Amino acid sequence: MHLIRDIWQSIVRRDPLSTDKGKSELVFLNVWLHIHPAKVKKENLKFRHTFYLGFITFFLFLILVTTGIALMCYYRPFPPQAYQDMKDLQFVVFMGPFLRNMHRWAAHGMVVCVFLHMCRVFYTGSYKKPRQFNWVVGVFLLLLTLGLSFTGYLLPWDQLAYWAITVGTNIGSYAPFIGGQLRELLLGGHSVGEAALIRFYVLHVAVLPAAVILLTIVHFWRVRKDGGLSRPVWKLKPQKAEALVTIGAPATTAALQATAASSTKTYGLMEVVTGKPIFETVTPEEEEDTVFSYPYAFVREAVALMATVTTIMTMSLFLNAPLEELANPAKTPNPAKAPWYFLGLQELVSHSALLGGVVAPALMVIALLAIPYLDRNPSRRPGDRKWALWLFTFFVIANLALIVLGTFFRGPGWALVPPWVHVVGGAE
Amino acid sequence: MESRLQKIFFALSFLALALIIAAAWQANTPTWKTYQHNFLQLEAQGEPNAVTKAAVLATPPEVHQVMLTGLQRVDRCTTCHLGAEDPTMKDAPEPFRYHANLGPHISSKFGCTICHGGQGLATDKEGAHGKVDFWPNPLLSKDYIRASCGRCHKEGEVPGVPELTEGRRLFETQGCRGCHKLNGVGGSIGPDLTAEGANHRAPEWLERHFLSPNAVSSGSAMPNFHFTTEQARDLTYYMLSLTSEEMGTYYSSVRLIPGPEYGRQLFVEKNCIACHMVGGIGAKTGPDLLGVTKRHSTEWLDEQLVNPELVYPGSSMPAYDLEPNARKALLAYLDSATPDDVQLILSHKTRALSPEDVAIEAGKQDFARFGCVGCHGTELQGGVANPNAQGGEVPSLLHVSDDYTKDEVIAIIRNGRAPPLDNASGPTPPLYMPSWKHVLSDEDIHRIADYLWSKQQKKAKDSW
Repeated sequence: MHLIRDIWQSIVRRDPLSTDKGKSELVFLNVWLHIHPAKVKKENLKFRHTFYLGFITFFLFLILVTTGIALMCYYRPFPPQAYQDMKDLQFVVFMGPFLRNMHRWAAHGMVVCVFLHMCRVFYTGSYKKPRQFNWVVGVFLLLLTLGLSFTGYLLPWDQLAYWAITVGTNIGSYAPFIGGQLRELLLGGHSVGEAALIRFYVLHVAVLPAAVILLTIVHFWRVRKDGGLSRPVWKLKPQKAEALVTIGAPATTAALQATAASSTKTYGLMEVVTGKPIFETVTPEEEEDTVFSYPYAFVREAVALMATVTTIMTMSLFLNAPLEELANPAKTPNPAKAPWYFLGLQELVSHSALLGGVVAPALMVIALLAIPYLDRNPSRRPGDRKWALWLFTFFVIANLALIVLGTFFRGPGWALVPPWVHVVGGAE
Repeated sequence: MESRLQKIFFALSFLALALIIAAAWQANTPTWKTYQHNFLQLEAQGEPNAVTKAAVLATPPEVHQVMLTGLQRVDRCTTCHLGAEDPTMKDAPEPFRYHANLGPHISSKFGCTICHGGQGLATDKEGAHGKVDFWPNPLLSKDYIRASCGRCHKEGEVPGVPELTEGRRLFETQGCRGCHKLNGVGGSIGPDLTAEGANHRAPEWLERHFLSPNAVSSGSAMPNFHFTTEQARDLTYYMLSLTSEEMGTYYSSVRLIPGPEYGRQLFVEKNCIACHMVGGIGAKTGPDLLGVTKRHSTEWLDEQLVNPELVYPGSSMPAYDLEPNARKALLAYLDSATPDDVQLILSHKTRALSPEDVAIEAGKQDFARFGCVGCHGTELQGGVANPNAQGGEVPSLLHVSDDYTKDEVIAIIRNGRAPPLDNASGPTPPLYMPSWKHVLSDEDIHRIADYLWSKQQKKAKDSW
């Protein structure tokens, strides 16, 4: 019995969870959990403050990694075997369709959730000081997510994949001077072929996931180091509003005092550092507003995780991921469309290649990156930032409208065809 | 709140488990298992005693597949069509019925889809029969399955499929190559037909197209050749058989045995004797072929038949569209050809050919082979409709010497020409004279001109 107890205690060294010390130790003695604070602010657990979109995005990424690794066991990244492997997944691999469906729907879901997460962060003003840089990291994560989705789009090697990537990379080639070379570098040639497939595969399963993981670590770390999640504006107490709305240092400018060392306690590095912290701190009077992460935060995260997983599973049970004919470079579908999240760009390109394909997307990315530095207004209250909200809303609606237009209202020859009109004929 | 959240968490966890079980159940109950179960019951009926019955019924379900690397496909059809090779199943209901009359085409070597079409990789009925979105190659209907024979049997007579033989003959004699390329030889007014079968057009569409091109493809430049329904079907068979798939050696070698008999047939058919001689018998334009197989390597001779210009720049020998086995057969014949045999071939010609006649005959061959007859007619009569061209049709060439000198005609053949318009503001006529200088050698063009001149009919007043 002693042996079993010894082994258990060698693994779990915390106090019982019934004690506050145990609850804290569960978090900070565990390498996986210690990215959480031991205690969190009550308001930050509110569903309607964050909608858990960041978590959901992260969980979708976990689903993608898991199903993606399983899919790698069945996939050979060269044509035409790549396509045959899709067919084998569909017809002979046990639960193959379910696996592929999960990967597909989780991927689309991740693009959607990353975007919604960004909107949430904007509307709550959570990109403001001291969180500017984490917003920038987030924009890069958005771009990486699009890159992952785009590279994965080619892998089935069907007509849908082939032409979406052909159109998508053509949009990129409109960039002056370097566009053509960039496209060639990405494709390993002048058109989508074997070389492009292996490059997209390497990007999809190694380079981009590694980049996402690295940036996600930074993103999560910065959430903690910037003082945790931003508090919902409506929860700010009136007397503290001024100090907290202008997030940053606590009201006092005095240097933090170092407490006298006690011989009954050991000290971590952060406890002996003196000086003003640059991030939000919990003042003693706010202590009453916090709760232990265990179980309050963890149970909510667990619910969000299971809700995400079951949603994706339910979709995968009933909706099959599309698979068209084998890629055929000689047979262009009309219209050939980029993946849906680039259809707004394709719509712009159809009006002006340079403006729509280069200037607009470049401005969009630069604007997104610059938002926290251009927006000098320190207030997070919606009433104080009407202009910013209107501008961002316009940006979101314009993007969505263009995507809807490109997806549903564009027919052969990129002519305006409402979705309820059936075009007879087509290719022949 | 917290205990409610915990309950929600556990409920969702159970839901996830249920979903996984549902997905596993879905994956574990494909329709092919039902078919296999029914087949085992059928088989068990024939067993004499309970022990063997039980043994049959205990056969575990599995996907059956034929890996056909030589045909670049995997066929899983026999997962459900379990009695295809079992003669005792000749009266069984579908999908278990025995496939009679396969001859040498055993399914372990040929699979099913190479002849029948459909989606060999699929394991459900709809998908396997290819009657689903995004599978361009559904099962061929009974009427057209035999067209698939032409995918391997690319030359000579295909036993049991006269349609293919006739389709090919029509293609080569009606001037289709004038507008259409096939294996790199032909014009470019119409689409390249080298892989027409791989376009997976519906056979019915092709057939209607041959009967009346404009009825199914409006604005098509293709003239109506007034084919009979049989001819339209023959051509449809031929089109369906045209794929540029790489067939493995096993399949290409069964096309036909490249023996000297077939080679002799080709020697006569392609009229080699119009230019060449064997042991001094024949024409003097090309080199003597007696013992040619001893003077040159097989590879050299093969290249000579594929691309004469590459072997001898400026060679006047035309490129023939011959299958590898046809070339082998021809070389096999040349290996054994004797002057006596060639004399025999020549004696079947109506009269001995003078060198001039040989040139004219060669011109006539070119005129047919490169498809000039498609528009100008096998007797140079012209008359194919060409709206808004002068006269509304392709001109007859029987009186061409009245309006042009031979050099002018040669220039027109070399460079091509847009037809003069009937109505200058009207639409561009669909047919035009293509430029032939990249396809035909000057020698060929001169011979065609000679042939035309040999056929000129004087206008009535001139002859008077």
